[in-house]
Amino acid sequence: MTDSIRAQNVTVRYGAFTALREVSLELPKGVITGVIGPNGAGKTTLLNALSGFTAVHSGTIHLEDRDITDLPAYRRARLGVIRGFQTVRLLERESVLDNVLLGTERLPQPGDISQLLALRAQWRWKKSAREEAREVLQLLGLSSESERIVDSLPFASRRLVEVARVLVSAPPLVLLDEPAAGLDQRGRLELATALARVHQQSGFTLAVVEHDIDFVTKLCTNVIAMDSGKFIMAGTPEEVFADPRVQTSYFGRSTHAQA
Amino acid sequence: MSSSAQSLSSAIRISDRGLRWRHLPAIFVAVALALVPLLFFGDYWMFVAAKLLAFGIAAMGLQILYGRAGQMSLAQGSFMGVGAYTGYILSSNGVSPGLQLLAVIAIAGVVALIVGLPTLRLSPLRLAIVTLAFGELFNWLLINTSQFTGGTQGAPVKPFVVLGLDTSYPLDAYLLTLAFAVVLTLLALNLAGTQSGRRMAAIRDTEMAAISVGVFLPKTKLIAFVLSAVFGGIGGWLYSGVTGFIAPPDFDLFASVFLLAAVVIGGSRTVIGAWLGAAFIVLLPEGFNLIGQPNLYALAGGALLAITALLLTDGLYGALARLTGMARTVLSRKGSIR
Repeated sequence: MTDSIRAQNVTVRYGAFTALREVSLELPKGVITGVIGPNGAGKTTLLNALSGFTAVHSGTIHLEDRDITDLPAYRRARLGVIRGFQTVRLLERESVLDNVLLGTERLPQPGDISQLLALRAQWRWKKSAREEAREVLQLLGLSSESERIVDSLPFASRRLVEVARVLVSAPPLVLLDEPAAGLDQRGRLELATALARVHQQSGFTLAVVEHDIDFVTKLCTNVIAMDSGKFIMAGTPEEVFADPRVQTSYFGRSTHAQA
Repeated sequence: MSSSAQSLSSAIRISDRGLRWRHLPAIFVAVALALVPLLFFGDYWMFVAAKLLAFGIAAMGLQILYGRAGQMSLAQGSFMGVGAYTGYILSSNGVSPGLQLLAVIAIAGVVALIVGLPTLRLSPLRLAIVTLAFGELFNWLLINTSQFTGGTQGAPVKPFVVLGLDTSYPLDAYLLTLAFAVVLTLLALNLAGTQSGRRMAAIRDTEMAAISVGVFLPKTKLIAFVLSAVFGGIGGWLYSGVTGFIAPPDFDLFASVFLLAAVVIGGSRTVIGAWLGAAFIVLLPEGFNLIGQPNLYALAGGALLAITALLLTDGLYGALARLTGMARTVLSRKGSIR
């Protein structure tokens, strides 16, 4: 399963501040897209607008041919638009496995009564959901931590738990907000490899907001550059990083952005 | 964040995991323990134990709402009242206990739907305020419809006679409430291992993550509230059968606050915590009676509750979990020296 998502003339305002200005872009089906730009470029706002966490002031958002502009975030999630957060958001005192299982929400589940009374359907579902979760955990190298309580894990592992929660339902469209932030070089490499492998298996559409150019070049075949709430350009990593507009807006301030 | 206390609390799990087969021995032990009163207790203590079980069932319901879903209710006592008076009114009209139970479940659930629906999009604090208002309204209703409820005078409840048990005997009352307590505890424990339970925990910990995976928050909040009300209703209905007499003060704001205190003191994150808290709250006044100072309870009881709540941040359950955890570490260290 893989879906494309398209923003047309999307404007997002927070009071007097315009976070996204008439942005039109597409995350093409089955492609891994890197979203780059200096701080304040509107990358996170773009993800929020696509996933429904921010209302758009004007413009439209289409998932395949369906207009989802007015759909609330949870409905978009059920359609398979699943996002991760820049700040890790986990059930801190639950286990890694439970956190990942939360991500199975959009898959067809037994009814609440069935779950509460532990009827047969629930037992069967529980088993298959656990298998899915274990698979993702293994892929991300978290197998041995599945019973650990999340708040006792190091930061890097907590990041991966969030990625696992996003991936567990095999969503057709994934939006990740700086998933590699706070990971060391090896961790970044492993994450990029794992994401590439999942992509190879399921062919999902993936957008990754990321500062690390190596990470983007390694993982992404398509890059979208943004600055000051505006869409600058899209293209292959080589094209985009070589473009003078990107050079000035991104690299010109890159030391500032890293700080 | 990385103090030793933090790492200790992290190492010890203080939340439920759902039912697993390997819990079976623990469940047998718990049921065996619950049968101990049969051997040693006289009528009075059997009566106290039955009351405790009824109260504990209501506390478990509040634990689901407050501890698991992070929503605050100040009407759990009132839902006990809904159950108790539903049973009372039906039994006065000759309805059998089995049908009473079904009606109690249905009516407690529907009342919770009506109270909960308007508050769903609001913060947990709003639910607390709305339930507070509902509790007051319910008490007013009990007092002012005395032709049905007996009003401030209270009402004698006909004993339940089911399967050869007659709740006018403390032993029978205890066995009946125990059966309910066991089944409902298993249901409550099972919740933690279900997606329903995880949705609730997600709402408690991070609504954003809940939404991002596709949870429709109002529905989950409503299910938690209805579930807690049904537990409250069943607890109240059993309470009325155990005591044989109900009056509005049994189900007023104080009752609700005591239930909340039980959940917090016992450890709101776990079902067992709700039981520990219920036992603490019910047995504390009995303890003062035992030492011949019943009046001291009013004075020292509140202080003792406050101190317990302040000292044990994860409740009695957390304290016990930590103690056993420490004991285990000490024992294993000894083992390694040898």
